[in-house]
Amino acid sequence: MFRSLFVTFLFAASVIAEEAPSFRRDVMPILFRSGCNQGTCHGSARGKDGFMLSLFGYDAKGDYYRITQEMVGRRVNLAAPEQSLMLLKATGKVPHTGGELFKPDTKYYKTLLAWIEAGAPDDAGAVPQPVEITLSPDRIAFEGGKGTQKTTVTARYSDGSKRDVTDLALFATNNPATAKIDKNGIVSASGRGDTHVFARFNRFTIGSEVIVLPQDKNYAWTNPSANNYIDEIVHDRLQKLRLLPSDVCDDETFIRRLYIDLTGSLPTTKEYREFMADASKDKRTALIDQLLQSDGFTDLWTDLWAEMLRVKGGGYAPSATDVKAADVYYEWIREQIAKNRPLNEFVADQITGTGSNLTNGPANLYTMLVHDVKVTPKNLAADFSQLFTGVRIQCAECHNHPFDRWTQDDYYGWVSFFTGIQRKLGVEPREFYVFNDLSAAPAKHLVDERPMQPTVLGGESSVPKGKDPRQALAAWLTSPKNELFTRNLANRMWAHLMGRGLVEPLDDMRVSNPPTNGPLLDALAKHLGDSGFNLRGFIRDITTSRTYQLSAKPNKTNADDTRQFSRSQLRRLRADVLLDAIVEATDGQRGFTYFPKGTKAIQHYPRSPGDTTRPMTGDPFFETFGRAGRASVCVCDTKFEPTLSQTLHMVAGDTVQSQIGAGQVIEKHLKAVTPPETIIEDLYLRALSRKPKPDELKSLLELVGSDTKDRKPYQDIFWSLLNSTEFIFNH
Amino acid sequence: MRSLLLFPLLLTSAAAADAVVTYDEHIKPIFREHCLKCHGEDEQKADLNLANFTSVLKGGSGDKAVIAGRASQSLLFQAITAEDDSERMPPKKAPLPAPQIELIRQWIQGGLRESSASKSLVAERDTSFKPAATLNFDGPPPMPESLPTFTPPKLKRPLPIIAMAASPRAPLIAVAGHEHVRLVDANTQKELGVLAFPEGQPNVIRFSLDGRVLMVAGGKPVQSGSVVLFDIKTGKRLTTIGDETDAALAADLSPDQQLVALGGSGKVVKIYNTADGKLRHKLTKHTDWITALTFSPDGKKLASSDRAGGIHLWDATGGGILLSLAEHKAAVRALSWRSDSRMLASGGEDGLLIWWDAKDGWPAITNTNAHPPVRPTGYYGKLPNGVLSAAFGPNGELLTAGRDKQVRLWAANGSVLKSFANETSLPLQTSITFDGKGLFAGDAAGAVRYWTAAN
Repeated sequence: MFRSLFVTFLFAASVIAEEAPSFRRDVMPILFRSGCNQGTCHGSARGKDGFMLSLFGYDAKGDYYRITQEMVGRRVNLAAPEQSLMLLKATGKVPHTGGELFKPDTKYYKTLLAWIEAGAPDDAGAVPQPVEITLSPDRIAFEGGKGTQKTTVTARYSDGSKRDVTDLALFATNNPATAKIDKNGIVSASGRGDTHVFARFNRFTIGSEVIVLPQDKNYAWTNPSANNYIDEIVHDRLQKLRLLPSDVCDDETFIRRLYIDLTGSLPTTKEYREFMADASKDKRTALIDQLLQSDGFTDLWTDLWAEMLRVKGGGYAPSATDVKAADVYYEWIREQIAKNRPLNEFVADQITGTGSNLTNGPANLYTMLVHDVKVTPKNLAADFSQLFTGVRIQCAECHNHPFDRWTQDDYYGWVSFFTGIQRKLGVEPREFYVFNDLSAAPAKHLVDERPMQPTVLGGESSVPKGKDPRQALAAWLTSPKNELFTRNLANRMWAHLMGRGLVEPLDDMRVSNPPTNGPLLDALAKHLGDSGFNLRGFIRDITTSRTYQLSAKPNKTNADDTRQFSRSQLRRLRADVLLDAIVEATDGQRGFTYFPKGTKAIQHYPRSPGDTTRPMTGDPFFETFGRAGRASVCVCDTKFEPTLSQTLHMVAGDTVQSQIGAGQVIEKHLKAVTPPETIIEDLYLRALSRKPKPDELKSLLELVGSDTKDRKPYQDIFWSLLNSTEFIFNH
Repeated sequence: MRSLLLFPLLLTSAAAADAVVTYDEHIKPIFREHCLKCHGEDEQKADLNLANFTSVLKGGSGDKAVIAGRASQSLLFQAITAEDDSERMPPKKAPLPAPQIELIRQWIQGGLRESSASKSLVAERDTSFKPAATLNFDGPPPMPESLPTFTPPKLKRPLPIIAMAASPRAPLIAVAGHEHVRLVDANTQKELGVLAFPEGQPNVIRFSLDGRVLMVAGGKPVQSGSVVLFDIKTGKRLTTIGDETDAALAADLSPDQQLVALGGSGKVVKIYNTADGKLRHKLTKHTDWITALTFSPDGKKLASSDRAGGIHLWDATGGGILLSLAEHKAAVRALSWRSDSRMLASGGEDGLLIWWDAKDGWPAITNTNAHPPVRPTGYYGKLPNGVLSAAFGPNGELLTAGRDKQVRLWAANGSVLKSFANETSLPLQTSITFDGKGLFAGDAAGAVRYWTAAN
């Protein structure tokens, strides 16, 4: 039938020497190390200059095809291996946008050449895969602010073998102002502080902590007392970094801080006076316990959860996010917070939520996380992960997560939990039944379109078939053993109370973004899980700690510290809390469209007669002061940055002035002929929860003058207090 | 009940090609379900009304909605199959179910029949082969007679057969080697000689229409590129054309030997005079690397293709564009003219093998999966199914090679005559001898295989 003729160069497989480099084990890491497959080069989705590689090498099979098969004879030249374009390009012998990557006398060149000389073979059968990498040493301390340290990266493979891959890894530092790391893995100190350096190899990222300390012979630990485990761990960290905690704040500062943090309200003058008059030693703890049981606490923490869960009510029925649905959801959340429902059960109920959006509150997780007429499983999966684990798993959609452990397998297995989520029309246009269609096809892997069964993040095997996989999802997610969940919740609550998360941004938990105090986050997460996810208990732990009660005033060691909680951080009030604070301080009144009179800002969630897809804050004041528009799950939607329009609004807008007018605080005082110093003190207590200092009082009395009936100077004083940084900030 | 009827249609689309899909019976119900709210009698967004057959044909403000016989070029079909959510119809909704899309495709391909009594609006195409008038060349068929001796260096591995050609007049095959070209007797398969090509890799080899001149194009990747013309009898270098900064990936010599066209990573097709080596035209319509160039045997047209799937037909002498042939969605790997200059074949990485009617650029025959690879059990994902080579023989037959490692012989009407397996290596190049008797394929391992058309 056919004859094979001419020179059929029959090089049998035996020619491929046993020591021929493996494409996956030896060649791919060189492409990674040399930067060939990074996003700005051939790893870009469309490749670069006509040649594409998978980003950071997630698709070895595809890369082999593109290098050897796509344009046979061009990229590798089996007849004249050293003339292969990939070698000429890498050594800069021909024009190459990426320039010269290595020289011909390097191991990199020799390995690639040997592979091409061996016939550029594909790997036969399975190749041992890296399963873990280590970076040693895992802690580096530079005394005296100087020094260098060599690090070593070791990969462990699926066959149990280990290999030093330092010269195949990529290195990075989180803060070059503290420590740098070069391409050979050598760390050098640059300035005081603590940071992490990282090594990346294959799909793994791993970090080592670096602490750089100046020579400081005068530093002496002052042995502050520790109220609980939080203080012990923080103190340990501060000692290592040669920082001293500030003093504990005074009672005036404490009461204002605690009220704002736990209830979203300012203490009334009565509450202030009672607390200040209380001489008992444990009055702070008593106040904490009292506020944890208050309605204000329930309101504030409902508000925080409703914001995270994107509760918004609209009038466009097909989105399934009608005001009635939002209300049912909101009330359900409030009920859970009120009865201190364990947070894991609270979340689990929502994950398995099924049934009518108008009658079953928790089912609205699948309407409010969506705000669209159709459920897009990938979006839902990404939002779900970001919200409940702090992991941005969507990075692994198109490639393995470059700076974390997540692979495309993780991503598509995760998405498959959500491919069956559906809503079908109920008995009226606003009503939708949420259910999980168990016959829905799972997500397909991007690289090879393999159907991926639902699998939890980092999970080895998929969940059992037949049952609603959301049961398994909820059980896994909300287990006290699931650090993704416990750390995320602990970090978010810590951030609310301390002004900064141990990991920032809160919703970007990854290996390459480690906590500023790892043992503390571990301990908080463990206590949260061990306590049965007791919301109030956990907040009690934090607020009773000495660390929470520190003054914002720096000492000579900690003026620059913003990450280690050696002093209290100034925090601008949330938009809704700020509005309530203005209303409370002035005895004013403020309503909201679509809400009954007397609704507080923290009891408000955005409502509109239309579609709920767009960002909605529900009030112009909220818009100005950065309340989340709830158009995404991103923590960044709640803004704390000062803006010019905020200043203008406070100075000249209709809120402060009109609330002062509405509350008639000054008028009532003048009518009662209250002495000027008492009026001024009352205004101070209302706005700042503290008495005026003698010099403040003195100059203000001068301002008021002798005309005791003139309300104008008092209005100016009140207006100034409400416009002061001290009012707008929690401290 | 309807779905029972639809699924068999989809599953056996080949068999169902004859089953008539009509507007009245199949398509209007689909439009009614998904489209008429915005494109119906009451409202006509974009001036498009799909509620009756006449207005469907009329189209909307954006042009015709459907083109009989060409679903891929019909706006309506493009709209319902768009990958991008924001471009797809119906808006903000899941795509139409696959069986409905397939019905619409079949309806367009089948010629937009209104009812079962209607005729297809696609005109019947005459794809038959009528040999062009025999050209009278002086003298006997040119064969190598006195080639200079050249011994190629001994190499551990041969160059993959990235280029190969058969003489149109003589039993002669030219095959690419590392910096050389081997000339082989097609009857005896004996090597007759070797032509040195120190310029680099021979990426393209072509014989002139009279068989006297051999064109070799190539170079060194990202360093240099040119085209060399050899006298086939003496092996003498006649001229060198082009001084490119990258190897020529595509090239051809015009039938009258007056012009050489070349192209490559520069995305530009350059046409040079062979007489003085001067650049005559630059054709700048392509958006990606030029992958193939070929003059029609009557010398009137030049066909060019690129790595993004574009094919253009040019006026070979004037340099103006005649037609753009849009159908390929991935790199076009091969172009070949039938000897009567009426048909152009194209093959690409998207698996398409198309016989284009050169008169109006219509895809007269389309094979969407000409080289379907066998899917190993448990293997997911797209298997490469590209068509890598296509070469017409003297009788209108076409020899192709594909990533399924098959070499396939096609009749003038697009039906498969024979398939040959080349299991051990990927076949890259195909050629049919001047008499149509010998079928040659060169592969990635550097081997050339030979079959006789008779068996």
